[in-house]
Amino acid sequence: MRLALIILAYTPFLYPLPIWDYWPWLLIPLTAGVAIVYKSVKCQSMKQVPREALVIFVWILVGMVAAAGALAGVVHLVVER
Amino acid sequence: MSTRASDNVINSSPPVIALAGWALPGLGYWLIGQRGRAITCGITIILVFLAGILIAGVRVVQAPDMSASGNPFQRILQRPWFIGQVLTGPIGITTAMISEKLAASPTYRAIESKARLAEIGTLYTAVAGMLNLLTIIDASHRAARIAR
Repeated sequence: MRLALIILAYTPFLYPLPIWDYWPWLLIPLTAGVAIVYKSVKCQSMKQVPREALVIFVWILVGMVAAAGALAGVVHLVVER
Repeated sequence: MSTRASDNVINSSPPVIALAGWALPGLGYWLIGQRGRAITCGITIILVFLAGILIAGVRVVQAPDMSASGNPFQRILQRPWFIGQVLTGPIGITTAMISEKLAASPTYRAIESKARLAEIGTLYTAVAGMLNLLTIIDASHRAARIAR
């Protein structure tokens, strides 16, 4: 009921998007944007861009997940003990 | 029947290309005849910027208060992320003007994202500007090579 009321009251671009619990997923569109523009600038031919952008997109995500895992491990093992 | 890229060159003066790229993301590439690169970069940068204001609301783009007293450099540093946001060109400036109007309105003044969503929205809009800076530099460099 509360979620339905939030959605009904929501005005795009005026109110923040009601996705407080899903914020880690917002990494994906930003990574895709960075990968596409970066590879469009770097590649000599635009035909190479889709494949190259997909590769770097996956690498950025893997790097981010690894960094998040490592930092979570440091917090769990060092800070919380 | 295929056309060479050089056939589509409208202008190859690097400062004009840089200014065009700032005025509309991707326009710099378009003017030097690289239409595919122009459309890909332009649409992606605009979508990333729009995603930022969709996530955090339009008030995430806030210009520094230049009417306040003190050193202008310090005033800009109060909102350093605006340096990135303004690199998207008139889109960023118009958004900041709308944001300022909403901040002055008694109805909409209180509507402002906080914490994580504000940070993520700021990141999206500033990254869009930084990506546009990258395309501005690259398009100008390519234009200089064409001019030689």
